[in-house]
Amino acid sequence: MTIGFRDFSWTPAHARRPTLARIDLRIAAGERVLVVGPSGSGKSTLLHAVAGALGTTILGEATGSVDAVGRLGMVTQNPSSSVVADRIGRDVAFGPENLGLPRKEIWRRVDAALEAVDLRYGHDHLTSALSGGERHRLALAGALALEPELLLLDEPTSMLDAGLGDDVRRAVLDVVGDRTLVVVEHRFERWLDVVDRVVALDGGRIVFDGSVGEFRVASVPEALWMPGRPAPDPTVIPAELVTPVEPARIVARGMAVDQVTRTLRGTVRTRAVADLTVTLDPATITALVGPSGAGKSSALLALAGLLDPVAGSVEPPPDVGWSPQDPEIGFVATSVRREIEATPQALGREVDTEALLEAVGLAGRGDEHPYRLSGGEQRRLALAAAVAHRPGLLAMDEPTVGQDRDTWALVAGWMVSAARAGTTVVAATHDPDVPRHRELRLSHGRAVR
Amino acid sequence: MTGVATQVNPLALLAVGLAGTLGSLGVDTLPEALALATCWLVVVALASPSWRHPAFCLALVALPVVSVAWSTWMLGGRDPQTTALAAVRIFVLAWPGAVAVGYVDVARLGDYLAQTLRVPARFAAALSAALQRVGGTWRAWHDIARARRARGLRRGPGAMAFAVLVHTMREASRTSIAMDARGFAAARRRTWAEPASWTRVDVGAVLLAAVLAVTPHVM
Repeated sequence: MTIGFRDFSWTPAHARRPTLARIDLRIAAGERVLVVGPSGSGKSTLLHAVAGALGTTILGEATGSVDAVGRLGMVTQNPSSSVVADRIGRDVAFGPENLGLPRKEIWRRVDAALEAVDLRYGHDHLTSALSGGERHRLALAGALALEPELLLLDEPTSMLDAGLGDDVRRAVLDVVGDRTLVVVEHRFERWLDVVDRVVALDGGRIVFDGSVGEFRVASVPEALWMPGRPAPDPTVIPAELVTPVEPARIVARGMAVDQVTRTLRGTVRTRAVADLTVTLDPATITALVGPSGAGKSSALLALAGLLDPVAGSVEPPPDVGWSPQDPEIGFVATSVRREIEATPQALGREVDTEALLEAVGLAGRGDEHPYRLSGGEQRRLALAAAVAHRPGLLAMDEPTVGQDRDTWALVAGWMVSAARAGTTVVAATHDPDVPRHRELRLSHGRAVR
Repeated sequence: MTGVATQVNPLALLAVGLAGTLGSLGVDTLPEALALATCWLVVVALASPSWRHPAFCLALVALPVVSVAWSTWMLGGRDPQTTALAAVRIFVLAWPGAVAVGYVDVARLGDYLAQTLRVPARFAAALSAALQRVGGTWRAWHDIARARRARGLRRGPGAMAFAVLVHTMREASRTSIAMDARGFAAARRRTWAEPASWTRVDVGAVLLAAVLAVTPHVM
């Protein structure tokens, strides 16, 4: 046995309900296990328990026991948090250094890991200049370089398009070989062919544990992205919540954007977007697509007037609804209700807070602290807070990453309903199911037709 | 303005910074103090990549310089000579150190602490990782300011500092989990991917530091 949970429960500090309840689970050496479940069901907590982070780094109360045997490598959900060095070579080397390997072997493993995740920059490339998807791959390379006996992955391919996701999955399996793998993923269809066993969680409890064959025909929570289930119908949002106060047309001409890393030792500029000319009209949805590192987020920021172009021009909208990749970045208040009311208050606009809470599925949760919500709930709150003032432009950065079907339907529904009501909607996304009227494909920062 | 300061290894830079402090303690007369201050101005001018950081450090040390000068003036019989000596001495004590520390490559600091000074490896690696996250704080400030700008909210320094602090603390606990998950918790005997080498520039910097630290004491 490699992993053993015995009647394990975990209640985080300040939480009322346990996030894991009475878990009994044994995973044998060499097993490949997929863990699935709706947002907030306890998947990440399960991995944290195996990694020994509960009760040490993360505060709370545990009962029962959990054991893990063997050298462990883990990739956590937020890739920015796993970066420990300023350059990608040294970042990947961190694990092998901890293992006390000789220098030659360290660099052999660094090169092999970077190649496996297809990060083809030099060792000295700055980690701060990587895109969200590239950071995901860097974190994965950092774990692969350990050549772990037990590999734990929290949504390793959620930020990647299908092709790159397949490559990364193959790389993971190559490294894992006959060792143990536990992987958490929302869009898990492609993992089903390569794992031995599936564990489904709901509300902190195991609701399914069995083979892939059994899982395919099991009755599992509606929110799971089961293979064959089409993308859910976008939720319809009442027009009075999404009709823009002032419609916006965005015109960019020959726009260039740089990613800048400034230190006292000097400034490093990386061209993220070059020579982009585009018009975004009201009542349309534009999807910015392209491989990870293509400049989607930078282009989105510049179009929203939140990042100044270094060349060309863009006419920013009078007001914008901005939904960042990391929802926590935008939180400003100590309660869900005040979070939603902050922007309308600042701009002197009316907002029907209760209707918004209801629309994003947070009715009755107005007094909770934004940080204590689950990942999916935070995404929905961030959306409500970003659009409460009914802006003319709605700009979203990977709005559906790591979301279950319920949250997905809400995010997609907001885009469709807002566009129908006259909002200009633009989203950087690699999710092919996200609704759109047209696509703007970027490659190496340039628009390709 | 050669930028050679950015090529000097972290320990040599710290030695240079310390030299200012040690040297200032040996200064007894105003001409000596002015000569030493001039030497440091020349060294910083030659070695820095630009004036931005040295000028910023000057603004930082201006407060202690002015306050020491003021109290010396009031308590030291309003003697311009004594006041000037005190002010220049504080300048030499603080400014070169502040400038030098700013150019330290924190990513390489761990390498040198562990391999040259034999500081315990886990401490060196943790310190280096923590200092590198300071750069992440600058980024977090930008991201948070941008999100607030988009939401039409005020970006007062107090509210921003608090938001960045909260964000940094939450990030730190996630990073700590990520580090432990990459073998840091169990690392007993740690190795280093890069050697802590000493080039001629590094040795030259340490020699220069020694001269500037010792000369005021023997004059």
